[in-house]
Amino acid sequence: MSASILTIASRIINQLIRDRRTLILIVVVPLVIASLVGVSVPDKRILDYTAPAILAVLILFFGFLLTGISFLRERSQGTLERLMASPVSRLDIVGGYLLGFLLFAVLQTMVLFFYLIYVLNVNFYGDLWQILVFQVLIGIGAVCMGTFFSVLAKNEFQMVQFIPMIIVPQMFLCGLLWPVEQMPEYLQWLANVLPMTYGVSGIRALMLQGQNLLDIGKEVGVLAAYAVGLLILAAVTLRRGTG
Amino acid sequence: MPENSSSGPAVEVNKLSFAYGRQRVLDGLSLEVPSGISFGLLGPNGAGKTTLIRLLVGLLKARAGTILTLGRKPSPKIAHLIGYMPQLPSLYAELSVIQNAEFFARIYRLRERKQRAQRVEEVIKLVDLWEDRNKSVANLSGGMKQRASLACAIVHNPPLLFLDEPTVGLDPELRVTFWEYFSALTRQGATLIISSHTMDDAAHCDRLAFMRDGRVIALGSPDELRQAAGRAKATLEDAFLHFVRREEKKDVG
Repeated sequence: MSASILTIASRIINQLIRDRRTLILIVVVPLVIASLVGVSVPDKRILDYTAPAILAVLILFFGFLLTGISFLRERSQGTLERLMASPVSRLDIVGGYLLGFLLFAVLQTMVLFFYLIYVLNVNFYGDLWQILVFQVLIGIGAVCMGTFFSVLAKNEFQMVQFIPMIIVPQMFLCGLLWPVEQMPEYLQWLANVLPMTYGVSGIRALMLQGQNLLDIGKEVGVLAAYAVGLLILAAVTLRRGTG
Repeated sequence: MPENSSSGPAVEVNKLSFAYGRQRVLDGLSLEVPSGISFGLLGPNGAGKTTLIRLLVGLLKARAGTILTLGRKPSPKIAHLIGYMPQLPSLYAELSVIQNAEFFARIYRLRERKQRAQRVEEVIKLVDLWEDRNKSVANLSGGMKQRASLACAIVHNPPLLFLDEPTVGLDPELRVTFWEYFSALTRQGATLIISSHTMDDAAHCDRLAFMRDGRVIALGSPDELRQAAGRAKATLEDAFLHFVRREEKKDVG
C-alpha cells in the first residue's frame, strides 16, 4: 500500500476525530434507528429478519453520504485541486478515502452489531469477523459510489438529493422490508441488478443461517465486482485535468 | 532545496492556446521564465493568468502549443519539484495549521519524521503562525489562512513555486510581509511565478509579463516596462495602459 494512501486515510480520520459532532452522529444515529425498529416491530422473528439488513443498509447510507459530501468539500474548498497538483495519483486519493472511511464503517458495524445482539436480543449464528469482511465489501462500493456521484453535484444540497435517487430505491428493493421474491416480477428484475439486494441477502445468510463467506460466493462476487467497477469509475472521473 | 532537474529556464511556453468549451482563454501565448527570479503575471481579471498557472502545474491540458516546466512536460512525475498556492486558501478547515502543514509535507514525500517535523516548524515560523499552530484553520482570519496556505505550498522546499493571487485580500502590512517571504525564497534560489492584478505587486517582481485577453502584451523588468511607456516617471500602471492601447491600435489596424 502506498504511503500516500495511508497519509490521506490518516488525514480523514483526523478530520472526523476533530469534528466531534459528526463522529457522535455516526455512532448514535444507527443505534437510534435500530432502537426504533426494535421497539416498533411486534414480532421478534421480524426483528431477527430485519436487523441484519439494517447493518448492511446503514453502511451503504453513511458510506455514500459521508464520502460524497467530503469529496464535494474537497472540490469546493480547492483542496482537491491542491492534491491533484501534488505527486499523489487518483487511485491514491480514492484509496485513502476508502481506507479512512472503512475504519469508521467497521467501528459503526461493531457498535451496531453488539447493540443488536446484546440490547435488542437479535438472534445470531455466524462469525463476527466474516460479517465485518462482508460489511467492508459493501462499504467499498458505498464509498466509491459517493465519490463518483460527488462529481455530478455542485453543492451539498444536490448531493443530498442523490439519497432519494440512489439510496432509497435500494432500501425499498433490497429486501429490507419485505422479501424480494414477493415483489412484482419487473421489480425483482430491478432488485437483482442493485448491489444492496446482494448485500442484504449475504448478511442475512451470515447472521441468521450461520453460513460462511464461501457459502455466499455469489453475493461476495457480485459485491466485489460492483466495488471494483465503482472504484475504477471513481478514479477515472477524478480527473487531474479539470478542463 | 530539491535539485532543479533543469539548468535552463524554469518555464518555457510556446504558442499555448486553451479554451473552456468555445470560450478561448489563452491565445498563442509564449513566454520564458529564467530560473531563480520572481516572475509576475500581471493583468486584469479574465486575462488568463489562473488558467495559465493551472496549465503550468498540470491541472489542465493544453489544446495547442507546448509547455516545459523545469525542462519537462507538466506531469505527476515532477509534481514534487513544484509548489502551488491556489487563489483560495485551499486548506482542511477542521484541521489545525500544523496538521495541514504536516499533511502536505507527507504528501510531498518528506518521509523522514524528524526532518519533516523540523521543516513543518520552520515554515510555520516563517509565516509567523507558530503561536497559532494548534488552531483549526476554520477559526483563522483571512490573512492567517493565506499565510497557512503559503506554508503548505513551500513545506517541501520546491525549486519552482506558483502563487495564484497570493496577496488578494491582505492588508498592506501583511502584503509587505508576504513580499519579504517571497524575496527570501528567491534568495535561496527558488523561482516564483506570481499572478496578480495589482501594480503594487508588480513592482516587487524581477520580471513581468503583462497579460490581456489570453495574450502576453509586454515582457520585461519593471524598469524596462516603465521606460517603454515613454514618459518620465511613468508608473507600471501607465506602462500597462500604454501596452493595452498599443494592442488596441494593432487590433484596429
